[in-house]
Amino acid sequence: MTQMLGYQPPPTPGRKLAGVNWMVIALVALIAAFGVASLYSVARGSFSPFAERHALRAMLGIAVILGMAMVPLRFWLALAYPSYFVLLAALALVPLVGTEAMGAKRWLRFAGLSVQPSEFMKVALVLALARYYQWLDPARVSRPVWVLAPCLMIAAPVMLVLQQPDLGTAVLFAAVGVALMFIAGVNPLYFLGTAGVGAALAPLLWERLHAYQQQRIRVFLDPELDPLGSGYHVLQSKIALGSGGLTGKGFLKGTQGQLNFLPEKETDFIFTMLGEEWGYIGAAALICLYAMLIVMLLAMAMSCRSAFARQLNAGAALIVFVYASINISMVIGLVPVVGVPLPLVSYGGTAMTAIFAALGLAMCGYVNRNERLRRDDVRGFLGT
Amino acid sequence: MFSGDDADILQRRRFTRRALILGGAKLGTLGLVASQLYRLQVLQGARYVPLAEENRLNIQVLAPRRGRILDRNGIVLAENEDSYRAVLVPALTRDVRATVALFARIVPLGIDQQTRIVARARRQSPNVPVVLAAKLAFEDIARINLFAPQLPGVRTEVDSRRRYRHGGTMAHVVGYVGSVERRALDDAPVLRLPGFRVGKSGVELGMDDSLRGRAGHVKQEVDALGRIVRQLEKHEPRRGADTMLTIDTTLQARVLDRMSQEKSAALVALDVTTGEVLVMASVPNFDNAIFTDPDVSRELRRLQTTQHNPMVNRAIRGAYPPGSTFKMVVALAALERGVVKPRERINCEGSYTLADHVYRCWNRNGHGASDLHKALRESCDVYFYELARRTGIKAIAAMARRLGLGQTFDCGIALQKAGVVPDPDWKRLRLGRAWLDGDTILTGVGQGYVLSTPLQLAVMTARIATGLAVEPRLVRAQGPAPSKAPVFAPVGLQTEWLDAVRRGMFGVVNETGGTGYRARIGDGPARLAGKTGTSQVSRQSTQRAAHELAWEQRDHALFVAFAPTSQPRYAIATVIEHGGSGGAVAAPLVREVMEELLAAEPESRSPPFAPDEPSRGANEARQG
Repeated sequence: MTQMLGYQPPPTPGRKLAGVNWMVIALVALIAAFGVASLYSVARGSFSPFAERHALRAMLGIAVILGMAMVPLRFWLALAYPSYFVLLAALALVPLVGTEAMGAKRWLRFAGLSVQPSEFMKVALVLALARYYQWLDPARVSRPVWVLAPCLMIAAPVMLVLQQPDLGTAVLFAAVGVALMFIAGVNPLYFLGTAGVGAALAPLLWERLHAYQQQRIRVFLDPELDPLGSGYHVLQSKIALGSGGLTGKGFLKGTQGQLNFLPEKETDFIFTMLGEEWGYIGAAALICLYAMLIVMLLAMAMSCRSAFARQLNAGAALIVFVYASINISMVIGLVPVVGVPLPLVSYGGTAMTAIFAALGLAMCGYVNRNERLRRDDVRGFLGT
Repeated sequence: MFSGDDADILQRRRFTRRALILGGAKLGTLGLVASQLYRLQVLQGARYVPLAEENRLNIQVLAPRRGRILDRNGIVLAENEDSYRAVLVPALTRDVRATVALFARIVPLGIDQQTRIVARARRQSPNVPVVLAAKLAFEDIARINLFAPQLPGVRTEVDSRRRYRHGGTMAHVVGYVGSVERRALDDAPVLRLPGFRVGKSGVELGMDDSLRGRAGHVKQEVDALGRIVRQLEKHEPRRGADTMLTIDTTLQARVLDRMSQEKSAALVALDVTTGEVLVMASVPNFDNAIFTDPDVSRELRRLQTTQHNPMVNRAIRGAYPPGSTFKMVVALAALERGVVKPRERINCEGSYTLADHVYRCWNRNGHGASDLHKALRESCDVYFYELARRTGIKAIAAMARRLGLGQTFDCGIALQKAGVVPDPDWKRLRLGRAWLDGDTILTGVGQGYVLSTPLQLAVMTARIATGLAVEPRLVRAQGPAPSKAPVFAPVGLQTEWLDAVRRGMFGVVNETGGTGYRARIGDGPARLAGKTGTSQVSRQSTQRAAHELAWEQRDHALFVAFAPTSQPRYAIATVIEHGGSGGAVAAPLVREVMEELLAAEPESRSPPFAPDEPSRGANEARQG
C-alpha cells in the first residue's frame, strides 16, 4: 500500500516517448493514407489541390499527437475548463460576427484564419467532462445534482450549434457527452428515462428544427419525395457504391465520382468515392481500421489509473466512432445527410486538427497511465 | 469503510465494465454499417451497375448567341447564320465505329470520312463531341431523330456561324471572330465548346464581352444511349447585346471608293458634337466574309504576306509622324505657357540654327516675319522651331496628350496603337539616351519621335474645334437602349488661344498662300478650316521632288480639318502613306469627304449642338 502511494519520479521525455502507443500512430497514419489516395483520385489523379495538403496535415497531426503526449497530464487538467469556456464564448460569438458559408454561419475569422469553433468544442467538451469526473467523488456520480451539472455542460454547446444551424455537430456533441457520462458510471436508469422523455418531446424538437433539416429527415424517410434534391445525393452515392461491387472499379476509374456525379466528394462523400473505386474490400478495410483504432483507444482507457486519463481515451474513441459511423451511415443511406466528415480521410483542416487534438490528449493520458492524480489535485468544481 | 484505493479500484472496475459495453456497442454499430455496406455493394451491387451505367450526369454548356453588329442606320454588318449538324459523344456509345457506320446509312458519309471521324473520336477526350455531318437539311435532322434509339451518343445541334455583310467596306471596323487560342483551365467553360468563337479584332474584339452574352447550362441525366432521362436544372444562356455602330456604311463605302486609288491610306471622320466616328476607312482593305470560309487560314496567310498588309486598320494601328498637323499642339502649348503672343512676329530666313545644327524650313527662301496666323497658314517651320524651343518638350508633350495624342480610346474598337508622345522620360526609358534640345526642335514640327494615328489626329482636331475634351466612340447603342449623348468637359484652354489657332487653320484653307487652299469649299457658310502635314520618311525627300523618289521614300501626306467653321460639326483626319505633299494630295480628299458629310441630310444624324465659344471663334476667324 505504501509502495503504491510512494513517490514516483517524473518520467523523462525518452521514457515518455517509449510509452507512446505506436500501434495507434500507425493506425492513424494508415487511415490518413487512405485519405491521401482518395483525394488523389478525387482530383482526377493529381496531388494538388487536396492530396498533398492532406498528407502534410496528417504528418503535422502526428507530430501534434506526440507533442501533446509529452506534456504533463496536469497541464491539460488545468486547461480543461478555461478552454471549454473560451470555446463556448467563441460559439456564442459566431452568430454575431461569424462568416457564412453554404447557408450556415459556422466560421469565425480570426487574425486572417478561418476557424470553426464547433470542431474544437468537441475536444474541449471531452476535456471538460474528463476534468469533471476526475474531480467528482465516484460515490456521488449518480446523484441528481451531479448528473445535472454535466448535462448542462453538454447542453450549452448543443444549443449554440443548433442555432448555427448545424444538426450534425449537435448530434455529435450530445452523443459523445452522454456516452462519456455513461462510461463514467452514471446510473443507466437516467439514460432510459431520458430516452422515454425524449420520445415524448420529439414533436416539440421537430418544431425547433430548421426547415432544411426537417426536409432532410423527411426525404431520408422517403427519398422519393425529392429525387433531384437532397435525396439525390444519397441516391447517387448508393449507385456509386453499389456499382463498385466487391472489388471496385479500380483506382482512378470510378465513373460516378469522376463524372462529377457526387457532391462534396472531397469532404463528406469521400467514402463513396473510395467505395466505388476500391469496392467492398477497400471500404471494409477502412472500417476495420477504424474499429481497430477504437478498440485500441478503449484498451488504453482501461489501462489508465486516473479517471481523467480514462475519460480522455474513451472520449477520443467516441469522437472517432461517432464521426466515422455517422459519415458512413450517411453515405450509404442509413441516416440523413447531416454533414459530418470522415475522420482523417475527408479533406478539411479544422476537422482534422480537432481529431488530432483529441488523439493527442488520449495519448498523453496513456503515456501517464500510471500517474495517480488525486481528487484533491483539483480543488473544487471550477478548479483553483 | 472504503480506503481511497478501494474506491479507485471499484471505480476502475465499473469503468472497465462500461467501456466494454460501450466498445461492444461501437463494434456492433460498425459491424451493422459494414453489413449494410456489404448488402449494398456485394449483394445488390449487380443492380446498381447498370444504374451507374445509365445514370450519367451530363452538364452541357449552352453557348449564348452572339450579338449582331449594325451600322448607324441599322444596316446589318454581322449576324449569325444557323445550320444544323450532327455530333457524336464517343463516351456515350460502346462502339464508335459501328455507330458511325450506322449513321452513314442515314446521312451518306464516305469510307474515308468515316475513318477520319473514328480516328478523331479516339484521339480526343471521349466526352468532347465530334462532328459527324454539318449543314444538314431538315429532312436529315428528322431522320436522325427517328433513328436516335439505334444511334447512341449521336445528337443534333444548332451550329451558329458568324456571317458578315458589307465586309469589303466594314471589315476593318467590325473585325472578325475566330476560335479560342489559349485555353486556361480557369477560363469560362464555354470557351471549351467546340466551335465557340470569340472576337479577334475590331469591334468584335473590342466589344467581345457584351457581344458574347452569358453562357447557360443544362444539367441532365442521360442513359447509356445518350438519351436524356431527365433534366435537373437549366439556366438559359443570355444572348449577346446587339451593337449599333456610329459608322455610316454608305458614306464609308463612298469614301473607300474615292481612296481606292491610293495604295495605302486611312481616313477618320467624326461628329465633334457627339464624338461619333462616322467614317473609319483604311486601304488596302479586305473582306471579313473570308473568315467564315473553312480555308480561312490559307487566305489569312496570303493577306498577311501581301506587301501592304490589308488586315491592318491604319486608322487606329497606323502610327505616323504627324508632321505639320502637330503645329497646333505646339502653338497652344506656347500660348498657354505665355512664351509667345499671337501677334508676335518671328523672322524666318529659311533655316534655323541651334548649337551648330541647322534646321531647314520647307520653304528655303524663308517666310519673312511671321505671326502665328501666317506661320500656321503657310506652315512655317522656323516659327515652330523657335516656339518649341521656348515652350520646352514637357509642356508640348502635356498639350499633345490633352488633345488626344499618345493614347488609346475606350471607344469599342480593339487593338488601337497609342502612338508616341515623346518626352525626356520616354526617351530615357525606351532608348536609354538623354533628351537633346534638337529633339525638341524636331518635335516642334511633328517630326522626330512623335507618332500618332489618324483617329488621334481626328480627335485632336475635334478638340481644337470645340474646345471640349471630345471622346471618340464607335458604339452608338448597345442592346435596345440608345446611349445617351455624351457631355464633354472643356479641354481647359482659353478661347483666345483656341481662336488664334482656329483662325490660322481657317487661313490654311481659305486664304491665298494657305497650304491647304485646294481643300477650299467656296465662300458659303459651310467653310472648312484645316492643316496640312507632310511628314518626312526619308532625308532625301527634302532635296528631291516627289516623283523622283521611290514610293517607299516619299513623304506621308496628311490633312486634318473641321467644318463648318461657323459651327464646327465634323472633324476629319487623313494620312496618305507616301502620298507626297499634304496640301496636294490629302487636302482634296478631305474636302470631298467633308462635302459628302455636309451634303448628307443633317436630320439623319444626331441633332447639332452649338457651343458658344467655337462659333464665336469661327466668326472672328472669318474676319481675319
